[in-house]
Amino acid sequence: MLELRNVVRHYPVGDGEPVRAVDGVSLLVAPGELVALYGPSGSGKTTLLMLIAALLRPDSGAVLMDGRNVSELSERDAARYRLAELGFVRQSLNLLASASALDNASLKLMGTNLNVGEAHRRVMPILQRLGLGERAGHRAEQLSMGERQRVMIARALSTDPKLVLADEPTGSLDTGRSREVLDLLTEICRERKAAVLLVTHDPRAATHADRVHALHDGRLVEYQPDHLVVSTGAE
Amino acid sequence: MKLSNIVRLYRVRLGSRLVPEVFAILGIAVGVALLFASQVASTSLNGSVRQLTTGIVGHMRFQLAARAPEGFDQRLLSEVEHLPGVIAAVPVLEEHVNMIGPTGARPVDLLGTDPRFAHLGGPLVRRFGYARLAQLQALAVPAPIASAIGASSLRPVRLQVGTSVPTALIGTTLTAGDIGGLVDSPIALGPLLYVQRLTGMTGRLSRIFVGARPGEDRVVMAGLTRLAAGALNVRPGDFDATLFGNAAGPTNQSTTLFSAISALVGFLFAFNAMLLTVPQRRNLVEDLRLDGYTAGMIVQVLLFDALVLGVLASLAGLALGEVLSVELFSASPGYLSLGFPVGSQRIVAWQSVALAFGGGMTAACVGVLAPLRREIFSPLATAFSRPKRSMGRRSGALAVGLMCLAATTVILIAAPQAAIAGIASLIVAMLLLLPEALAGLVAAFDRLRRSVSGVSPYLAVIELRSGANRARALAIAATGAIAVFGSVAIQGAHSNLQQGLDRLVHQLNTSAALWVIPPGSQNLLATTPFRAIPISALERLPGVTAVEPLRAALLDYEDRRVWVLAPPPGAAYPIPPSQLVSGDLATAAARVRAGGWAVISQAVASEHHLHLGQPFVLPSPRPRTFRVAALITNLGWPPGAVILNSADYVRAWGSNDPSAYYVKLAADVPVQRGRLRVQRALGPTSGLGVETARQRELRQRSASRQGLQRLTQISWLVLIAAVLAMGAAMGSMIWQRRLHLADMKVDGFRRGELWRALLLESTLLLGTGCSIGAVFGIYGQLLLSHALATVTGFPVVFSAEVSTAVSSFLIVTAAAVVIVAIPGHAAARVRPAISLQD
Repeated sequence: MLELRNVVRHYPVGDGEPVRAVDGVSLLVAPGELVALYGPSGSGKTTLLMLIAALLRPDSGAVLMDGRNVSELSERDAARYRLAELGFVRQSLNLLASASALDNASLKLMGTNLNVGEAHRRVMPILQRLGLGERAGHRAEQLSMGERQRVMIARALSTDPKLVLADEPTGSLDTGRSREVLDLLTEICRERKAAVLLVTHDPRAATHADRVHALHDGRLVEYQPDHLVVSTGAE
Repeated sequence: MKLSNIVRLYRVRLGSRLVPEVFAILGIAVGVALLFASQVASTSLNGSVRQLTTGIVGHMRFQLAARAPEGFDQRLLSEVEHLPGVIAAVPVLEEHVNMIGPTGARPVDLLGTDPRFAHLGGPLVRRFGYARLAQLQALAVPAPIASAIGASSLRPVRLQVGTSVPTALIGTTLTAGDIGGLVDSPIALGPLLYVQRLTGMTGRLSRIFVGARPGEDRVVMAGLTRLAAGALNVRPGDFDATLFGNAAGPTNQSTTLFSAISALVGFLFAFNAMLLTVPQRRNLVEDLRLDGYTAGMIVQVLLFDALVLGVLASLAGLALGEVLSVELFSASPGYLSLGFPVGSQRIVAWQSVALAFGGGMTAACVGVLAPLRREIFSPLATAFSRPKRSMGRRSGALAVGLMCLAATTVILIAAPQAAIAGIASLIVAMLLLLPEALAGLVAAFDRLRRSVSGVSPYLAVIELRSGANRARALAIAATGAIAVFGSVAIQGAHSNLQQGLDRLVHQLNTSAALWVIPPGSQNLLATTPFRAIPISALERLPGVTAVEPLRAALLDYEDRRVWVLAPPPGAAYPIPPSQLVSGDLATAAARVRAGGWAVISQAVASEHHLHLGQPFVLPSPRPRTFRVAALITNLGWPPGAVILNSADYVRAWGSNDPSAYYVKLAADVPVQRGRLRVQRALGPTSGLGVETARQRELRQRSASRQGLQRLTQISWLVLIAAVLAMGAAMGSMIWQRRLHLADMKVDGFRRGELWRALLLESTLLLGTGCSIGAVFGIYGQLLLSHALATVTGFPVVFSAEVSTAVSSFLIVTAAAVVIVAIPGHAAARVRPAISLQD
């Protein structure tokens, strides 16, 4: 489903050598699979997610979704791609403070041709599945951090995406809440047969994945809990 | 995207941004109000005369008009009626009189006409009940006029007509129900014969309005021109409105300029207010883009925000503007009412509403979209990072700013008539140079603060150099700059004009110690002629050294109603020296004295392409050819002025009637004593009053100030709006910084230090904006003063109003800092604990 072919992305830094944020990464993610990308800060994880979400174009290589090179999409088509095929769970919890959990979770669906009522009908079961059925009418500012993160997950899943990109989804949660949120995310994605690419620097979060890869200085390396070794880069 | 979804998205977000949205609405509303009120003021001035003209003239195509107050023989009417192509001819006698009632007096246009007008004229003359008035031998007067002078139906009033004061009967008062908006027109209507009797003009007419058969305009025009024989004017029926349009041109130009500056300040007020809501909208845009909303969809969402804001703010602004317009901008039109029947009605044209509403909507759309254009349209990866301000862009802005400044200088020197363009380029220059001025001032302050102990100046410098607040800080400084600029430029130009007018009226009035003149405010220009009195009795009075006649009139010269003056040969200033624009004063005075030469306003000369020495025909009742002796200002009368020799005037008007007498007193005679002696000698039945030169000067100064009052009011409103805008924007910027302040408290900074830092930051920011506005304002004042002198021909004194600039700068800066001190103090009291909370 998702295929990264030798993707390279450098950032120029003044007059010096460019930073190799993503350096020849190749990766395959199958439908319904949960793949974790583990790496410390600055290892290139977020850049890789942005390349997959067609927010950035690679300097070389290709990002293919069902065989289509998303790096070549126009801004407009890239937006359609994110709306219809991707779900994005972010670390920052930019919810609309005065809107209800239900409205916040329906935000993405409102960008489609569904009207508000239909959007709510589609999102409500997801919120219930995430344990927020009782809290659906509460305003975002009345929710705990864990509940807010679950609202973000509901929003990401609301359009039945093929792939969910989760960027440090538990970064702002304590250990207990982190596990709870990740359990729910993996369960629901498996139920819906959505693939998940989980980006984290928390080794515990990586344990939820079918496969774990590590990123080091922009290169994909084999994940080993004790030490990291440079891989060949090929899948 | 579905509209229902957009509406939902708006509704669910509203709760958390209600306060900034209300601020934004207030901001836009103030701008809309200023724009609307100044537009209504301008439209009302022009519209009142046009409305009155249409209300009288109706569909009558032409008019045959007298050139002098004595009018013409009414037997001409039957000749007009028999002209080919004429379907109707209606006689009118018109006299500018002072109506005196039990509690006051008002100048009115007294119109006498006959029943034909009731069928053919406009709505005003159709409904005044001619038959009843003819039967009663009475006048119809709009109810507000009657009420102002304490008169009512079937009660007598007195009319000051030249030197006679006949008693007239009010037959009916006309209400808005009878004549609509014309109820505020300064007019009195009566049967022709009755008005002829009241004014002592039996058998005379001022005008004949003429209706033409369709397609026969040219034939009728030719016939009327033949009958006029060069001694009467043949004009379109509504020509008075055209004349007034020209006369009110300078006032309207000033109002347009004021409106533009008001709108700009209002927009910046709105823009500042809108910037308060930018952080929340930026988060929303980021979220929506990540979730796959296209730029088009996001623009739809934001435009709906702007639509709601714009509609609410524009409606509030129109309501506020209505209050401003009624309560503040209903100033008297001053001088212009001396030559035209200017009413006090407020005319709210749909164009004024549309312009103000459109302005409000535009401000809302630009305010919502402009600060987020990068976040909406740039590639997502770079859209939310803060762009660096490159040296190239900085020097580019500086270069364009300097070029604009150079363009303004060229306009000032070579084409001051293009003042609006000059002011626009000056504002652009000011705004482009403002960032550098701010950076320079901050750098200077930074150097200064190194020699001072304390952390507050250091914190203030850091905040002013922070990129996070840059856009809003510059918008706040720009608001102050434009407001002070507008205020200084306009008040300065106004002051230069006022000084010029004051000097003029002084020179015009000091020609004599005393003026013998028909009383009444309608005769301030001394244009009401009266039958000559035997002056020997006055000349024999002790202390009186000379009594000389002044002759003056208003004359329609093409599209201008010019003021013609013929001072007596012994006048101290037959040509006021300060008013000379071109020519030699002594030569011009000698030529005028010799006869056959005239001094004319530069604007009139330019319109007719006349140069010094060139002959022209003055369209007086007996047209005569004069040569141009010199060019002068407009002598404070917007359409322009002409100065003749007294004997030339008598020949050109075919009348020996004076409009005033100059009475000169011996040096040792107190003026008041002399005035009493002359008044006593004239007796109670003369109908003439005696004024000292000082009294006349004060009356004329007061009239000119009334006309300019509205401009002063608007410039103050602009300043008040700017103070509120800057105070509110600065206050909210500080308030939103509470978390940052809490962090600083955790780091050990004290409340007092933080508050002082906030006040210093505000003072530097607001002070920079206002000071650059003041400096550019002085330049703008020079430009406006030159434009006034060139375009309108007003007597203007050129002096830089530095005191106005300094006071505007100090008032606005101090007021805004005082306003900011309150939220600054509250923000500095923030609990440090909040920086550690979730």
